Amino acid sequence: MKLSYQHLKQKINSKLNKNELSDKLFQLGHEHEIHDDIYDFEFTPNRGDCLSINGLLRDLKLFYDVSISNDIFNKSINTLSLNFNNNVKKHCSNISFLKIEVDEVSQNYNGELKEYFDDMDVKRNNFFTDISNYISYETGQPTHCYDALKLGNYIKLDFLDKKVKFETLLGKIIELNKGDLVFFNENNDVINLAGIVGGINTACSKNTRSVIVECAYFDPEAIIGKSVLYDIRSDASHKFERNTDPACHEYVLRRFLRIIEKHANINKIELFSESNAHEKKTIVPFRINKINSVLGTAIEKSKCSEILKRLGFYINEDSIEVPSYRHDIQNSNDISEEIARSIGFDKIKSTNFKITFNKDSKIFSQEDRLKNLLTENGFYEVINNPFTSQNNEDAIEIDNPLDSSRKFLRQNLKDSLIDNLLYNERRQQDSVKLFEISNVYSSSPDANKRLIGIIASGRIDKNYRDFSKFIDKKYIGSIFEGIIDLNQLNIVDISRESLNTKLKHPITYIEFLLDSSIKINYSSEVSKTLPINNFKYSPVSDFPRSIRDLSYSVKDPAKFKILEERIYEFRDRLLREVFIFDYFHNEKQSEIKIGFRFVFQSNEKTITENEVNNIIDQIINNTVSIDSVSIPGLK
Amino acid sequence: MSQNRDFGPPKIIKNQGSHHPINQVKDSIIDFLISLGFEIADGPEIETEEFNFDMLNIKESHPARQMHDTFYVNNKSHVLRTHTSPVQIRGMLNKKPPFAFISGGKVYRKDDDSTHLPMFHQIEGIYVDNNVSFSNLKDLIYKIVHFLFGEDIKIRFRPSYFPFTEPSAEVDILSKDGKWLEILGCGVVNPIVLQNCKIDNEQYSGLAFGLGIERIAMLKFGVLDIRDFYKSNLDFLSQFK
Repeated sequence: MKLSYQHLKQKINSKLNKNELSDKLFQLGHEHEIHDDIYDFEFTPNRGDCLSINGLLRDLKLFYDVSISNDIFNKSINTLSLNFNNNVKKHCSNISFLKIEVDEVSQNYNGELKEYFDDMDVKRNNFFTDISNYISYETGQPTHCYDALKLGNYIKLDFLDKKVKFETLLGKIIELNKGDLVFFNENNDVINLAGIVGGINTACSKNTRSVIVECAYFDPEAIIGKSVLYDIRSDASHKFERNTDPACHEYVLRRFLRIIEKHANINKIELFSESNAHEKKTIVPFRINKINSVLGTAIEKSKCSEILKRLGFYINEDSIEVPSYRHDIQNSNDISEEIARSIGFDKIKSTNFKITFNKDSKIFSQEDRLKNLLTENGFYEVINNPFTSQNNEDAIEIDNPLDSSRKFLRQNLKDSLIDNLLYNERRQQDSVKLFEISNVYSSSPDANKRLIGIIASGRIDKNYRDFSKFIDKKYIGSIFEGIIDLNQLNIVDISRESLNTKLKHPITYIEFLLDSSIKINYSSEVSKTLPINNFKYSPVSDFPRSIRDLSYSVKDPAKFKILEERIYEFRDRLLREVFIFDYFHNEKQSEIKIGFRFVFQSNEKTITENEVNNIIDQIINNTVSIDSVSIPGLK
Repeated sequence: MSQNRDFGPPKIIKNQGSHHPINQVKDSIIDFLISLGFEIADGPEIETEEFNFDMLNIKESHPARQMHDTFYVNNKSHVLRTHTSPVQIRGMLNKKPPFAFISGGKVYRKDDDSTHLPMFHQIEGIYVDNNVSFSNLKDLIYKIVHFLFGEDIKIRFRPSYFPFTEPSAEVDILSKDGKWLEILGCGVVNPIVLQNCKIDNEQYSGLAFGLGIERIAMLKFGVLDIRDFYKSNLDFLSQFK
């Protein structure tokens, strides 16, 4: 919702700049961004009363003297003889129709109307619709303009009893549903989707000189969701969904007339009004002790009274009468929030928070222990979303899925983990060890359970002892030996035949229930939680990595550490990782053979052979100069 | 001895894995809150509308209840919980004040873009006792934010709106580049919610707070795209050891 700083400032009797006003608006809870002279607000959904210049000014009265326009049409208005049939009085308690006929309309707007179109960069439409848009901007009350000649003298408001095609005034054709709240004409054609958008069949044009302005209060429950459903995000629907002021109609229509008066000669004005609800006043007890107890403050009743009066509340000795536009105020806590906003949330002092009836009781669950066991063995925890296209017999179906590939809730973790494993293999990972712990749900009563899935393939590790060994069922079993009864674990190989992969290493998988039937004999009680540090992650490269191995011979074992230091101290922005993948000490021949693996990768592009070769040459030159160190076979 | 060390084989380094960064952040916060005296409560991810909305004073007309914001299942009889607040309702129905508990876990909303995911994580806490006030809430929030971002961080409380708290606030921290960043929501428990849970709202009052784990993790680690947490990319995960 965009509102102009200048339009607000004109009504505030105080010298203040954009940023000072911005600070006050934040204090009131009106989050916004500033673009030039425009505040772009994201009002909370309970503050529909703020969706206009006047609405915001009412809140700003807390801090400033403001003047809300009293420039209205003051003459008496004749009664309009209209055949209006309201079949849904519960959902539309107050409604008025104002018929206006003018001679000619000016194309040159003046005063507030001109400022609105100039400052807010709003597209002009036709005279009456333009005024309707402005009035909504100023007062917060949407109005709808029918061309009186197209409408006739009969209007009915009711819920649709069947599906109906409807062309909006913007030319969009939608199929309305049974139960939608609509206006009909005497032919029973839909002429308006109530509170959302009017129809093209009664829309005003540049030639319209006789108009009927509808000004209504709609129950938000009758409006909500329609604008999203039909993809019609109108200003009117936004306001009606957040509730409007049922008591403002006469003021709004007289403001409407006043703007017309400034641009055209009015020939005829007639008004039809229907009010089906006695004005329901919300009364909240004025309990200063309760207010202070909610906030933790010691504010005097007179101070509270003054704040509430500035906000438009009527104060009696023991009660507070809530203004008709404040649908969000129901109880003492709501009143407390009004007081807190006026003081400023930041200015309310904090007082010590202490729980005295519980003690620090961190308990390491078997799940914590299992996670520690796996991470200590090189496994990474992953989290997958539960949506799947697979419709197993007991699968829970999403009524409104994001798309057809995410229509059901998964019943196992295996499929997600296979996807995760293949994804990493495609990214040239030659050792992938993953696990996930998650609830899974199914329509069978006993099938809602907490599972762990563990998947692994490729090398056991990068160190020279395990580099040439590959993950299999025996290796996975060895991790749990002595920790979980292996008879309880069903370790399986997953065939690669149906998977989109050319690799041959076995994929090993286990999935089991995390419940009291599993006993985990592992005592690691280290919290794997984060230190409060300044760690920042490095963005991951999507470019391929390049791998080079260098195998050294070291005749003098004393020189081995020098070689290791030179290699580990070597730095290049493309060198991502170095590790020893092979080591053999032939004591008889007094020779160490050692293999280093170098992994190269760029964040910006695919690296070339030449770039890698240049770096490798530097490493070789740095290392073969060490006495007794050589690379066998190097030319 | 020194000869052995110098000429010995290189150390065998076992590659360590890691807990998922989202769970690391979640567990850190939970551990901290436990140290303040909160207990852990748990609840189902498939919830009734009654627990997910009605009991929390989220009315039929609230946008969150529309089909475009919430995942409905089993012919609209249940929802995938849109927040961890229903756990608080279940806890309040089962306990008598005073109590203080937290719930953390997965929640679901019908969003999917670079800043929103259909599944994400929350931690929420509630504390109900005699004379619990907004002023107490502020002290608790300071403690949590200082734990997460250090004692020097600047904090701002802004009025906001949550149907289950009143007054409600959103809390911002000031980033190094001078921007206020929203990090959590909190408030005094709405007396209507206490009443819904059969708790005497004249005798007892409460405070509640909730934070999105992904949001905190992104700020702490400098991760710009929330989807990175869920690609299961080892190059990403291996940085969080």
